Amino acid sequence: MDKPLRIALTKGRLEKDTVQLLEGLGYDCTAVHEKGRKLILPVPDAHMEVVLAKAADVITYVEHGVCDMGVVGKDTLMEMNGKLFELVNLGFGKCKFALATKKDYPFYDGFGVKTIASKYPNVTRAFFENKGMDVDIVKIEGSVELAPLLGLADGIVDIVETGTTLKENGLAVVEDVAQVSARLIVNTVSLKLRQQEIEAFVKKVEDYIND
Amino acid sequence: MRRYDLITPEGTRDFLFEECALKRIVETRTREIFKSMGYTRVITPALEFLDVFRINSGYFSQEELCKLTDNKGRLIAVRPDSTTPIARVVATRLKDAKLPLRLYYTQPVYHFAPSLKGKSTEINQTGIELIGSNSRMADIEVISVAFSVLTTVVQNAPMNLKVNYSLELGDIRIFRELMHKLNATPAQKEEIHSLIESKNYPALNDFLDTLGDNKITRSLRKLPTLFGGEEVFERASNVFQDERIQEILDNMKALYHTVCAINTEGKVTVDLGLVNKTDYYTGLVIKGYLEGYGEEVISGGRYDKLLDEFGYDVPAVGMAVNVDAVANVIGKKYTPVQTPADVLIVAENGCEVQAVKTAELLREKGLCVEHFLDSENAEQYAQDRGIRKMILISKDSEKEVTVNG
Repeated sequence: MDKPLRIALTKGRLEKDTVQLLEGLGYDCTAVHEKGRKLILPVPDAHMEVVLAKAADVITYVEHGVCDMGVVGKDTLMEMNGKLFELVNLGFGKCKFALATKKDYPFYDGFGVKTIASKYPNVTRAFFENKGMDVDIVKIEGSVELAPLLGLADGIVDIVETGTTLKENGLAVVEDVAQVSARLIVNTVSLKLRQQEIEAFVKKVEDYIND
Repeated sequence: MRRYDLITPEGTRDFLFEECALKRIVETRTREIFKSMGYTRVITPALEFLDVFRINSGYFSQEELCKLTDNKGRLIAVRPDSTTPIARVVATRLKDAKLPLRLYYTQPVYHFAPSLKGKSTEINQTGIELIGSNSRMADIEVISVAFSVLTTVVQNAPMNLKVNYSLELGDIRIFRELMHKLNATPAQKEEIHSLIESKNYPALNDFLDTLGDNKITRSLRKLPTLFGGEEVFERASNVFQDERIQEILDNMKALYHTVCAINTEGKVTVDLGLVNKTDYYTGLVIKGYLEGYGEEVISGGRYDKLLDEFGYDVPAVGMAVNVDAVANVIGKKYTPVQTPADVLIVAENGCEVQAVKTAELLREKGLCVEHFLDSENAEQYAQDRGIRKMILISKDSEKEVTVNG
């Protein structure tokens, strides 16, 4: 008997929707609901295991092949740039990457090099490289909105869901960078060695989300 | 100033004992396969002029190349690949040699890996290059060697691992043909390339929507989904409906059947969406997979234009094995036995000549012989290391003693 198919799920923002999806497909997620401190959780009757991890780690585990599949946001995929297959856009966890500044700030005016604060330096770099624009990027770990308010940066590149945080802090979106939603990713070798199982799973997922 | 004299750079490591033995097993076994098929070893320098790797077809990005300068300030690269240097050698020093040339190598290649991702900068590779033939038999030969590596190296005794494996065939010309006919800018084509490579179906569909609905875009949508067993050929014929592509598919199908007939036990698959960006391949593409390793362990294909870039227009086909990856897979289930010496020679002071001579006689018989270097507790030393026999040498006697475990 082969090892169970292992799927890594992103903890937090996407967790609820992902579990809902798995349950919608008919998988028994009791162990995931009652996980306690356990990190690897069995899915009874499905020859499958669920691993809960932080978004960036989901990509690392899938890229190395220790997990066969994963559910992760496009935001983290864009930032990490791993070598894997990105088979399905799951549709939930929708938000966008956007460039925001203080309201009415003339971001594109003048000739000076602008400073951008972001939790996503690679996404930021790629965005401005495409524009042929030189910018200084400052990596911020927590609330990025602070940086322009404190005068550290001219703008931020960050995830925007509803825009409420921006509004409450007097910031506004200048330009959308990219649309983001949850994706089903698959290890490049797993897809080939366990093609039937994985394709069957992917088919079920696609049928479910298209319904 | 901070000194880094006790550690190795990120992405490199020391290999000791078992790890080293595993690597040797993989290297020796693959080498035996190569030799038995008439391949001769070549060694190229670790350092090459950067220009060797900045030719059109073999594209290596600035970020991944390890660069130095020589004593005249010229740019040097630590080889990221062995096929390109071998193409250089053949196009220069072996230009007058009789074809085909069958060459093999066992040497590391270097790519700077992204930081903190658990990837190696130094990768030990062994591989073959079959230069000067574009015949079907040449393709079959290289594929067979790849199969032998997956079967005899991993599956045979003493390891006898029941590891799932598969060999995959593709042909880059289908993708190139479609891209050639596609009406799009180079930047758009680049984007399509990476979306097909990552089998990113949703993004690929969205992107192709912007280019309009026609025969080519419909084919490109399907290309990354065309992988699996024999049924792929039929699905592909329905998708493409193109004379030139059908000819490639027919050749591939024949090759697929031949390979399946030769390797009845193994699993052969097809992926028409194998379109790795950094490849110099011009036709057949080969990948080998082992369960338990997240990337391919074998990679190869036909590169009929690479030698031409060095001024010698001959076709060639080859493949490389990632020795570290294969050793890693074997190592998960098998630990090589470190055998102790057969005999410990314990000699009194002044009996060194006799000790060395006795040891040499025993070694001629094929035994592994160690000299005891201290003056006391020889038996303890032998027991600790699992050595079962001691020979005690004094001025007037030579005595054999069995050591109790």
